[in-house]
Amino acid sequence: MYINAASTISHQPTFQNAGFSKLIEPLENSSELISPNYKEYIDAGLLRRMSKILRMSVAAAKDCLKQAEIEQPGAIIVGTGLGCLQDTEKFLNTFLSVEGLLPPTSFIQSTHNTIAGQISLSIGNHGYNMTHTQNTLSFEHALIDTSLLLSEGRDNIVAGAADEHIPFLEEAAEKLNLPSKNNLTSGASFFVLSKEKSDRSLARLKDVRTIGLVQDIDTEIDSFLSDNFLNVSEVDLILYSDLSPRVESVANKYFNEHYHADSKMINYTKLSGLYPTNSAFAMHYGIDRIQQHPELKKVLVLNGLNKINLGLTLIESLET
Amino acid sequence: MAVRITGLGLISAIGLTVAENLYSLENGKSGIAPVKYLDSERDFLVGEVKCSNAELSDHLGIKAQPISRTSLLGLTAAREAWGNNRYTNELRTGIISATSVGGMDTTEQFYQDYLDKNDPDYAVLRCHDSGNTTERIAAELGISGYINTLSTACSSGANAIMLGARLIEQGKLDRVLVGGTDALTNFTINGFRSLMIYDDRWCRPFDESRTGLNLGEGAAFLLLENDKSIRFSGNSTICCLSGWANAADAYHQTASSPEGTGATMAIQNAIDVSGLSALDISYVNAHGTGTKNNDLSESTAMINVFGDNIPDFSSTKPFTGHTLAAAGAIEAVFSVLAIQKGLIFPNLNYKTPIAETGLVPIMELQKDQPVLAVLSNSFGFGGNNSSLVFSVHR
Repeated sequence: MYINAASTISHQPTFQNAGFSKLIEPLENSSELISPNYKEYIDAGLLRRMSKILRMSVAAAKDCLKQAEIEQPGAIIVGTGLGCLQDTEKFLNTFLSVEGLLPPTSFIQSTHNTIAGQISLSIGNHGYNMTHTQNTLSFEHALIDTSLLLSEGRDNIVAGAADEHIPFLEEAAEKLNLPSKNNLTSGASFFVLSKEKSDRSLARLKDVRTIGLVQDIDTEIDSFLSDNFLNVSEVDLILYSDLSPRVESVANKYFNEHYHADSKMINYTKLSGLYPTNSAFAMHYGIDRIQQHPELKKVLVLNGLNKINLGLTLIESLET
Repeated sequence: MAVRITGLGLISAIGLTVAENLYSLENGKSGIAPVKYLDSERDFLVGEVKCSNAELSDHLGIKAQPISRTSLLGLTAAREAWGNNRYTNELRTGIISATSVGGMDTTEQFYQDYLDKNDPDYAVLRCHDSGNTTERIAAELGISGYINTLSTACSSGANAIMLGARLIEQGKLDRVLVGGTDALTNFTINGFRSLMIYDDRWCRPFDESRTGLNLGEGAAFLLLENDKSIRFSGNSTICCLSGWANAADAYHQTASSPEGTGATMAIQNAIDVSGLSALDISYVNAHGTGTKNNDLSESTAMINVFGDNIPDFSSTKPFTGHTLAAAGAIEAVFSVLAIQKGLIFPNLNYKTPIAETGLVPIMELQKDQPVLAVLSNSFGFGGNNSSLVFSVHR
């Protein structure tokens, strides 16, 4: 499948900024979400009620459609690890502390499918509409669903992922002894994926795989690469998540046998910050790198953010 | 299209197994009653599974805590559907579950303690996210690889079944457990009350006097297999999933369009995928929540598709309550039972037709019926509409 548009709202200057991969540095502790002028994408009345995750997602999805010059996509598919946290927290606070009649807005907007639902509402789309929520693999599952749909004859699919930060997450992480080296952040990345290559195509999404409750990481990487007729030395760039120690040691050992230059491996979590679907940021980053560096042919996104799950995504330049 | 269904598992307010559920359906026994197991301030009418978490854990032999009620219910149904099947490297096995609340049953207890500064147990947050409920079920069953969770509100269960069928059709998996699970929570009860669609009396789907739904809880799973998997397992085919479709209503955040736009598309497309005609549908297991809005919109959609030839139809939610993400899966098992046993289930609590549409559901259990194809509808808020068609295995 071909990636015909890409749009990301994050803590980095990613939005409508082709070439961002050349500019960005690992995030500082004080980083904040860089929001576009949402009013350019969302009706002011709706915007007032929308949480961060809804704003980011609707704006990024609409930006993608504009880039691809498509009015109606064949489907809308969203991945989210933790869903609409801001409204979930708000409704928990409301019903646990308010007596009597409760305002329903935060309940309505707390469900995971609000993201894909709001995108469909904002453009009046009646196509296939789906929400995947499989922890750190939610985005990869959205991509797999997209590839199924393209084989079934649908085309020009909006697929993406989003997660939002709320301050409570830091508190929970601390109490659960999960101190992260990285900032907990928000981000939304959306793409238009199509069956055929066009003038607008940015790159090709060659393959994507998820392995839940993974046992043998290097065997899984081996089999993914061999199913794509690749030796590991043929991969030009590896984008890896901030790997858990177990995954990191396996991955490092695995790749160090083939790589000797650190520049070929980039930790994308340091760039995006930490959120469950930041592999979607990595895919956009990989696409942008391919645009900037014609010598890059094959980019592998290695998502081991959660030690029990492995996501593998292979992106190729159009010249491959 | 036709994907074989070879295993069923079900837990709901009307029984802890498929057989117990069937017995209640045949005998008109509703599971909806004042709240008993959930720690709730008022006696809402709910379809609770008649077991405490301790009883469920004990029954399953689960030691590792914390675990959400959503996972416990899901695991009970998934184990029944999985039966004595063995794991093998020869077959690509997956699991797709659906949930709308995930671990909210434990999170809301945590959050109450958190607000009260009453020594909240942060450890339960590990089972909050929806994906965790499925990972937990997969781990207990020894399934790894393709493990996925869908969350599209009330259509989630139907979507999980559809996605499993598509993965098998495209040769990505050889067999897959598909279904959904949701525990009753104060979060959802209060949510539907805030929308003013929670009925304090028995829900009355398709009745003119209907004023809302009663929430329920439960889980159901089905085992789907391709031919290669059948050769290995030797399982017999109960019936087939032959049609499926998903469409967005794109009308309103919570309400369905009065013209039933998305619902009509889902029903029509699912029948088209099955290769059957509308006249071949023997029975419709309706979404039929009992809200003013859904039942009118769904009735209109049925008229749009079936015209004057409306098949026998009923909503089984007066038995189970509305089980949200589990509903599509629970009602899929009911649809399979309708085919397997030649039954059409009654729509309890119905008296008067809806003035605008005049449709009359089946009110008494119909036995010894030639049920060859069943349509099951699941329409969610957020405009997510899905329909499935089940048919006899030929």
